Formats: sequence, C-alpha cells, structure tokens
Amino acid sequence: MIHLTINGKQITAPEGATILEAAKQNDIYIPTLCYDEAVEVYGACGLCVVEAEGIPKLLRSCSAKVSEGMVINTESERVVRSRKVAMELLMSAHDGDCVAPCQLNCPAHTDCQGYVGLIANGEYESALKLIKNKIPLPASIGRVCPHPCEKACRRKNVEEPINIAQLKAFAADMDLKANSYLPDIMVRTGKKVAIIGGGPAGLTAAYYLNIMGHSVTVYDMMDKMGGMLRYGIPQYRLPKEVLDQEIALIEKSGVKLVNNVKLGKDFTINSLKENNDAVIVAVGAWQSSSMRTPGEELAGVYGGIDFLRAVINGNAPAIGDKVVICGGGNTAMDACRTAVRLGAKEVYVVYRRTRNEMPADKLEIDEAEEEGVIYKFLTNPISFNGENGKVTSITLQVMELGEPDASGRRSPVPVEGKTEEIAVDSVILAIGQKLVQGDVSELTLNNRGNIEADPDFFTTNIDGVFAIGDATNRGASIAIEAIGEADRCAKAVDAYLNGQSLDTRVPYISKRDEKAIDYSDRELKIRLTPKVLPPEVRNKNFDEVSLGFTEEEAKAEASRCLECGCREYYKCKLLGVAQLYDIDPERFRGEMPQKYTRDENAFIERNTAKCILCGLCVRSCREVMDVHSIGLMGRGFKTDVSPAFSLPLDQTNCTNCGLCVSLCPTGALTEKSTLQKQVPLNEEYTEEFVEIDGKRVSVLVSRYNGKVLRVIPNDELSRSMQLSREELIEKLT
Amino acid sequence: MKIVIGQGSCGIAAGAEKVRKALLNTNLNAGDISITGCIGMCYLEPIVDIYDDENNLTRLVKVSENDAEAIANFVSSGDRSSVERLIVTDEDNEFLSKQTRIALRNCGIINPDEIGAYINADGYTALKKALGMSPENVIEIIKTSGLAGRGGAGFPTWFKWNAARQSEGEEKYLICNADEGDPGAFMDRAVIESDPHNLIEGMLIGAYAIGAKHAVVYVRAEYPLAIKRLKKAIAQATEAGIIGSNIFGTDFSCDFMIKAGAGAFVCGEETALIESLEGHRGMPRLKPPFPAQSGFWRKPSNINNVETFANVAWIINNGGEAFAAMGTEGSKGTKVFAVTGKVRRSGLVEIPMGKTLRDVIFDIGGGMKTDKPFKAVQMGGPSGGCIPADLIDTVIDYKALGATGAIMGSGGMVVMDESTCMVGMAKFFLDFTAKESCGKCIHCRIGTKRMLEMLERITKGEGKEGDIELLEELCYSVKDGALCGLGQTAPNPVLTTIKYFRDEYEAHINDKKCPAGECSDLIEYKIIADKCRGCTLCARNCPVNAISGSVKNPHAIDTSKCIKCGKCYSVCKFGAVVKE
Repeated sequence: MIHLTINGKQITAPEGATILEAAKQNDIYIPTLCYDEAVEVYGACGLCVVEAEGIPKLLRSCSAKVSEGMVINTESERVVRSRKVAMELLMSAHDGDCVAPCQLNCPAHTDCQGYVGLIANGEYESALKLIKNKIPLPASIGRVCPHPCEKACRRKNVEEPINIAQLKAFAADMDLKANSYLPDIMVRTGKKVAIIGGGPAGLTAAYYLNIMGHSVTVYDMMDKMGGMLRYGIPQYRLPKEVLDQEIALIEKSGVKLVNNVKLGKDFTINSLKENNDAVIVAVGAWQSSSMRTPGEELAGVYGGIDFLRAVINGNAPAIGDKVVICGGGNTAMDACRTAVRLGAKEVYVVYRRTRNEMPADKLEIDEAEEEGVIYKFLTNPISFNGENGKVTSITLQVMELGEPDASGRRSPVPVEGKTEEIAVDSVILAIGQKLVQGDVSELTLNNRGNIEADPDFFTTNIDGVFAIGDATNRGASIAIEAIGEADRCAKAVDAYLNGQSLDTRVPYISKRDEKAIDYSDRELKIRLTPKVLPPEVRNKNFDEVSLGFTEEEAKAEASRCLECGCREYYKCKLLGVAQLYDIDPERFRGEMPQKYTRDENAFIERNTAKCILCGLCVRSCREVMDVHSIGLMGRGFKTDVSPAFSLPLDQTNCTNCGLCVSLCPTGALTEKSTLQKQVPLNEEYTEEFVEIDGKRVSVLVSRYNGKVLRVIPNDELSRSMQLSREELIEKLT
Repeated sequence: MKIVIGQGSCGIAAGAEKVRKALLNTNLNAGDISITGCIGMCYLEPIVDIYDDENNLTRLVKVSENDAEAIANFVSSGDRSSVERLIVTDEDNEFLSKQTRIALRNCGIINPDEIGAYINADGYTALKKALGMSPENVIEIIKTSGLAGRGGAGFPTWFKWNAARQSEGEEKYLICNADEGDPGAFMDRAVIESDPHNLIEGMLIGAYAIGAKHAVVYVRAEYPLAIKRLKKAIAQATEAGIIGSNIFGTDFSCDFMIKAGAGAFVCGEETALIESLEGHRGMPRLKPPFPAQSGFWRKPSNINNVETFANVAWIINNGGEAFAAMGTEGSKGTKVFAVTGKVRRSGLVEIPMGKTLRDVIFDIGGGMKTDKPFKAVQMGGPSGGCIPADLIDTVIDYKALGATGAIMGSGGMVVMDESTCMVGMAKFFLDFTAKESCGKCIHCRIGTKRMLEMLERITKGEGKEGDIELLEELCYSVKDGALCGLGQTAPNPVLTTIKYFRDEYEAHINDKKCPAGECSDLIEYKIIADKCRGCTLCARNCPVNAISGSVKNPHAIDTSKCIKCGKCYSVCKFGAVVKE
C-alpha cells in the first residue's frame, strides 16, 4: 500500500492506482469529462489536474500514479484556475442551449418547452404538473400573463412565436375540469411561516413552502384572496370562478387562508414575527400613481386600479358616455375595455407615443380597438378642466417622437403650441401603481419608496422577514415576476428555516448566439390562437373573451415548438462541471467549431455542435464494442466526431448498442425517447432486468411520471444483441 | 578530375538538376560528373564543386545551365577566366570556414548515394568500435559527451538510452524522429539527403546500446528525396551486412524500417509519432508511461531525432571528452541552425555551443539583407520565442536561450528586420500551431484558436483594452494545461513578443497603428505631392485603378478603392508613396 496525502487527508492506495482512483475511493471529488472506467485513459479534458508538492507541472490525475509520500492538492488556486479556463474555453466552443429561451425569459423560469412538448404529445397531466412546479395558478396566469416567454420564443424567426400562455391555460383548464392535481406534501417540519398578502406572490410562496412541509398562513386585507389578479383584472379576461378554483386547490393542499385582516391594524410585521418562524411581506402596490397634472383632484378622475376594483366589487362608478383613459399599458387596456362594457359611447386612450411603443399586449390593443376604443397617439394630458369640481374636458399636448432615449425608444417631445381639447365625462389614469408606504413602516424603503429587499435572498432589514412582489425594489410589475420571486423566496425561506442562507441566482448555463441560428429549413406553420367572442357580443358583457384552445388546436400549436432546449439538460455532466466554477466563457467568445446539424437514426441523435471531443463515444465504440463506426476527423479546432466515411450513422456498422449515448457527457449524442415530440424532461434512470431469448440482461430504463421514455442496454450481453428499442420497450411495459 | 553538383532539395529547387543535365551534354566525361548533398550554403545554390587531379577545389556558385559550356571549357583548359564570375568569394567561404561541423561533417562533400563514399570517410568504423564494447560502455561514452536531444527538448540522450536499456522486455525499438515539422528548420532533411549512412550508423549504435533489434525511421512524406536516399542507403547497408543479422559477425542484429508520416506537425511529438507509427490518428498519449517503458506496440522504445543520431558516430570515434570539450557547462558539442529570413547568408550553420546569436547572424550570416536594422530572431520555430536585438549577445546554450523565453528547439532561426510586425509574427506562428493542433486537449484545440482570434482582432485594429492581459492569461493557462509539447509551447511566440514588444501590441490596440507598417488593415498608402513627379508608374501598376492623376502632375490614391497591396509603394522611384 502507498501512503499519500490528498487535501490534507492521509490516505492509502494500492500500488499502481492513479491519483483519481485513490481520490475516488476516499470520497474526494475530482471533476472529469473524458474519463470512464470502461475505456483507456485519454487525458483530453485536463479537468482532473491536481497539484503535487515538488512537481512543477500540474498532473492529470486520471493517469498519474500514486507514489509514497505524495502530497496532493486537488483544489489549489492553480488547479482551480486551470479548470476554470478549461471550462471557459470548452463552453466558448459548445454551441448549445441548455434550456430554451422561453424558459430563460420567463421571470419564473417556467419550463415552457417542457409543458408545450408534453401537450404536443397529449400528456396533459404531466404538462400541468410541470407547470405547477413553478406556477400554482396556471389557469389564471395563462389568461393574463403578458408572456415574456413568447417574446423570446425563436419560432418568431420562422413566423410567429408559440402561443405558450394559452397552452398553459389549456393544460390548467383540463386539470380544473376533472381530478385536479394536488402536490405531494413533504413531512411536516413544525415550522410556521406567515405571509402578508394573498396575491400571486403571497399565494405562490405559500404553496411551495407548504409543499416543503412548513405550516403556512396567508393574511389578506380583502374579502377574498387573489390580490391584483382578482381586484385588478377584469372578469372578461380572468373569470373569478377560475381564480376561485385555483385558490381553493392551494387551500386544499394545506395552506391556511385568512381574509379581512390588515397589516398595521390587526397585526404588525413584528407581531407576526413573534408567532412565526418567518414572515414574508407580499403586500403589493395598491395605490394608483399620480400624473401630477393640474385637475387630477376633480370628481370624475379615477385611478386605473381603483376604477377596476370598484367595477369588480360591483360598485361601478357612473362614468358617462365620454371616457378618456390615460396610459398605454395593460391596465389602460383593462380600463378602456371595462369602460366600453359599462356602456360608455366614446372611449379614448391617450398615449404620448405611438402604437408601436405601447407596453400593452398587442392582442389587447387590437381587441380593444375591435370593441370600439379610439386611440389618441402622440398626445399627453396637460390639464384636466372642470366645472363645479367635476371634470368636463381634458387638454392634450400634441407630441412628436424625438431622439431615442436610454432604453432605445424614441422619446416623445411636445410640438410647440399645438394642443387639443376633448370634452369628457370621466377620466381614468392608468399610468402605474405604487406601494401604500404607511402599511410597511417597520421596513426600510429604498429611494423609489418601495421595500428594500435583497434581489436574490429576499431578506429585509428585519431578520426572518422577507419581502417580494410589487411592494419591493423596483415596484409594480407583472404577476409572473412576483410568482418567480415568490418561488425563489420560498426556497430561500426554507433554507433560512434550516439555518442556512440560499442564493437563488440562476447558475451558469450555455446559450446559443441567436444571430447565428439558421431557420431556413423550417416549414411555415401559422400560429394558432383560441377563438374569441365576436366584438359586438363581448363589448356588452363581462363574459370571458377567449374561448380557449380545443384539444386539437392545443396539440397542433404545441407541435410547432422548435425544441430549442437541450434534452440532456437534466443529466448533462458538462453543465454540472461548468457550474462548479465561476466561469465567463464570453471572454473567449469566437468562432464555433461545428455547424449545428443533426444526424439521426431510429434511436440516436447526433449533434456535433455540442460535442466536446472527450472521445468517449469513439473510444467506447472501438475499445469496448470493437465496432469502429465513428471516429475523429479533421484537425485542430475543426476536429469532429464523424461516422465512418462521413456516412449517415444509419449506413455504418453501428449496432445501436447505445453505449456511446450513455457515455456522452453532454447533449452531442442523445437517445430518442418514445414520445413523438421530443421533450427535455427530468427522467429517472433505473437499472432493470429483462429476459430476452431466455437470457436475463440489464438495461437502464428512464421513466417520467411512470411512462417509459428510453431504454439503454446496460451490459455486454444486451449491447451485443442488436435489440430494437421497440422490442425492449414492449418487454418493459 | 571530379565535378560534383550539390543535389540536396535546395540545390535541385535552385536548378541543380538542369545544371547536371547541361553538363552531361558538354564534352565532359560523364564519369567525372557526380553529385553530393547540401553543403548548407543554400543562398548560393546551385553549387558545382570542381576537384582537379590534385584534389584542389574550385567552388562555383549560383550556377545555371547556361554556364555549362563555360564550366566545360574551364575543366578542359584550366582557364579560370570563363568561370571567374561564378567562383565563390572569400567572404562567402567564411560562411563555411567559421563553422565546426560534426553532424554535417560529410554533407555536401560525399556522394549520399554511395556507401563507399561514406566508408571512405571513416564510415561505420564507429559502429564496429561500439560493437566491440558493452552497451553500457557505449551509453557511458554518450553520457561523457553530454549529448542532448537536438529535436527540441534537449533531454540528455544517455538518460533516455539507459532508461530504454533498463526497461524489461526482449522486444525493443529504436526510433528516429525525422518528422522535422518546424517551418524554417531543415537540418534533418539535409542530413538524410546528404549523409544517410551517418544516420544509419548512429541509429545502429543506439539500437545496440538499448538492446533493440528493430530500428524505425519516421520521416515526413514531404521529404521524398530524403526517403529515396535513405531507402537506397538501407539497401546498400543491408547488402554490406551492416544492417540485418549478426552485424559485423557479432551477436547484434537489427532491421530497419521507414515509415512516411502524413505531415502532421504533432507527429514530431514522440507519443503522437508512436500512435501514427501504429496506424492510428496522430494524437499524443498520456505520459507516463514514457516510451522507454511502453512505446511502439507498447514495447520499450527510444526516440531521438536525426541530428542527435548524426553526432553519435563521431562521438564514438573521437570520444565523449572531445565532444564535451566544445560548448558550455550545460550544453555540449555543436548545434546546427537553419538560418533564414532577412539575413544576408541563409542556410545551415553548425557551430559549437557557447557562441552567441551575434556570431551566427552577423559573423557567419553576414547581417541583414536589407538596409533595415535587425529587430529580432525567432528561435525554435512555432514552439520557440523571439529574441530582440538587445539580447543579440545571448550565448547559445539551452539554459541561456530558455531564460529569454525562447528555446533552442530544433535550431530554426528566423531573422527579422524592422519591417516585421511582431504581432503579425506571433499571429503567423499561432496560425500554424492552431492548425496543427491534433484537437485532443481543450487547452490546445480551443486555446490556440482563441489566442489566434484575439491576435487577428488586434492586427485588424479591433483590439480592446485588456486584450494583452487576457492573452497572457490564456497563454499561461495553455502552457499549464495542454497535454503535449505542441500546446505547452504554442504560446511562446505570443508571450515573448508581448514581453519584448509590448509597445507594438499597445500601438495596435490603443492607436490602431502598426509601427512596422505590415498590418494592412492599419496602414494607408499616400502620395506626397511634393515628391511625385507624375511619372504615372504607380497608376499603371495599381491593380484596382485607385490612383488618379495626369502626366507630370502629382497623383493621388483613392483610399476607398485601395486594397493596400503595396504595389505603388514598391514601384515608386521617387519615394513619393508612403505608408502611414
């Protein structure tokens, strides 16, 4: 036996063992990408380097043998630097998206590609479960979300983005119709969490903390839960019955809901803190912002959210025939369309820029226009004029677009001396909303007047008190933003309750250069949207405008997905190592070695743009299987793994043994799943045994929600049998 | 009477074969006309040596086939006047006389196609002598000589031999690395083409010393003449009983094999060479195990390069002490340099270690070819580094050269004057190594490419602050992390140019200027009106009609059309075209 020291730990190893083997036997982790016991050592990746005292060069631990008295450091500064640069170089030449851009752009990181793909396969239940990993109110959010996911969807480069939001609503509606999903709850921890505010943020945090086993109570000042989803969004867009059903499921899962209690009146943050292990402040932003325009105080001038809330509560004000809405966002759209439904004859939307700059959802802008709303672009109110304290007209400054501002949008500038006056019965100011500061006097506010909370840890000035949503940092935003924060905050609070601290930032992932993607081979398929009530019908009532996707439509729409995200994301060894080091591959950004291409046969899909040239496929094909159907081609940066004679894999002697696929540390080689549309899923692989021709062979079976997705031969016998996957899957199911 | 034509590849490229044919067409006796290899004065090729009956030599240089009659006339009449203009000058003769030749001792003198010529020059006496000693004794002599690997790394030869000798196993291999890949180095080619038996003898002595029964020469396929002459030499030696069983009646037997490599630079790396020999893709293996333990066919193997073996016979004959008497404390014997670039006399220079770079470049090489001053010398090819003018007195010694950031390497010496952009030079060598990387390890495959991309950006004027530091960081990472010598040394040209010419990098990055005026994206050609005589020469030569102007009036360049080919600059007789 050889005695040596690794990271200060005295260990022994058999003579002839490598440093890597010795470390492994002693549970000391050394990263590798090109090493596998099945094949000869290769030394390509250089990640297994370690520093040995007295040896000037870094040693590749996969090949360097232990020697008596050796003193090894596997994590020295030099070692870490070397690995970091190696990973930066490797990732700078790895042309792949770990996850799809839709998911990345979703503030809640919802696995859009995952559920869209599952819907395409008709796996609605699995789709719903996947959504509920991130959004506990998907039927509601699917209806109201301005869907940043769709803005990032690459299908827009072919024709139009996937209708992701409506697909979400579809899957959620299916679930609400029958056998609604309830999550498994972990063992009760005995810890208590109080959440102030039952809006999307509060309910989401409650839902996930409850799943983690904590006892959660949500306190809300209103009659019912739902926050702005209930009191800020009109019925025709989000029927309250849908919201009620989703909230009921949250309650059914174990969250305690308490209404009609108000912070500052019925309790304080500190009083809650005394009776709970943690408190989350998610009070929202319930005050309409002022335009600071003369005449705002006149009767007949309403704040946008105040107006919407009054209508929802059944106290619609008498707005008269001529109504002007100021603002260009979704609240302005909700207000103007509500005004139409209340019977106003002339409804104007005054916006200081043009249609193109309007922040509201395009569909909303169009549908409002269909319902008779009149847009007055490039105008800005300079005064609200009244008689006897009641507004009668509005003076508008005519604007024009000037130079682009910091955000790149051309900023409106007044056209000197040009104004316009419109007679009005009422005015609705939909230009924003803010926190009611008096409610949270115990917390430190930032210079914007919002609660100051750490953007990644969600902590506030009081230990154990966290804050999320519209009330914090940059102020009011969209619901999905609050939901994302709530989900991450729930994890942070869980860590806090376990005496830890959790940074919820998303670690490094690989992203493709959008500009370099070629879509020319994609077939055009028009985007489907659910049917809607005709304008002349819907403008007279508050019935839901959208009729939702039919099953057929949903499947067809979901099938348009380009499948941007990598199918091997959940078991990618490369990504695992990349996330160990604080890497910045952008430093070495440059040409990509291989074009993004796909070669596939019935089982295996190859994409050499993701290949890291670890050689495991080539070596295992040669050394273990003695098949030699793939090899290395070219030299230097352009080195490539290619089937023999550059033939398609199908035309080589490949036996589909799957060994290369199971050894590939990234997504360059993947095995197709039984799903018709391929979806990246967090599958579980287990070793199982099947009997074939009277012989018991080992196979690795991947299952997702019980369904067999992939089978990979796992021993010499099964690899050599040239079995078809159909045969194997049949045996397993 | 003997007329000998230098027929190394360099001579043939310069027209030596045409000269030989023309001479055969004269009234000269065909039997008197023979060939030799390369004498090393490449800048004077084709060279014809005429020995009279008293063996007095008249050396004619830069001969063309049109000179054949004049030569025939001189040979028959003895009248020098017709060839006076061809006779080598005393100054040029110094190129040879100042050298000390051991490895190249027979090059350009004997006929490489005749074993007899080699035997007449004491050939194979060393082998006979060595076979009379024990292998350990042979290794001891090599140890005394201090001979180190001439291929680049400079590892003590005796140590490798001894390691292979000590390795257990009946089957062992002695391999000669003739995969001379450094652009600018050609001494190994010269040795094989000019003195193949010297290589064979050195290898046989090595094979005997380590206990190998098989000798292999791995030679690049780009050296067809070397392969041809070596094959012939092996056949002759085999016939003479020098290769084969029971050599010189002893128990020692050794066969020879030639493997032509397909021209990958990395196959000069010993483990990649072995992979290639075995028929695999030329990619380095992990060390350990070293070839001495597990090499060709996983048997103990020893690999030395051509120049190393070319010294062996001399050392056995003259003793290790004689070899060690030359050189410095740490570097013994002589070293051959292939001197090229902006130097007046280019070719092969063999000198004792311990001389200075100045001795090679100025004393023997004759200084700069142009009127521009000496700027730097790139030593050791793409794996080496550049040494600036103020270090010209650096002693030729493994350690001293290493201290500059360059390496002795295989002896390539590319001489540069002030017109060479050092960033461009680093880019040139990196482009070579990036392309020649085998693609196996991350640091080399991607690291060299990223370095090259950065250098390309810098020379295009797209460099940004922090690029130099990023380059340095990447260089050190690649040196540390690359699997084999190719990657570990690839950053050297970048690191040394940054070390000695950082201001040039900064000028490219900060001022978007190329001080040497070589980076076409950073220069502009202009006509100085005062100097322009309106001769129209530039306008007529411009390939893109970017120059306008009428006769006798100053011309002007339309910079939007100009492709910066530099034609106007080179044709102007009045210095009116300037680079900015």
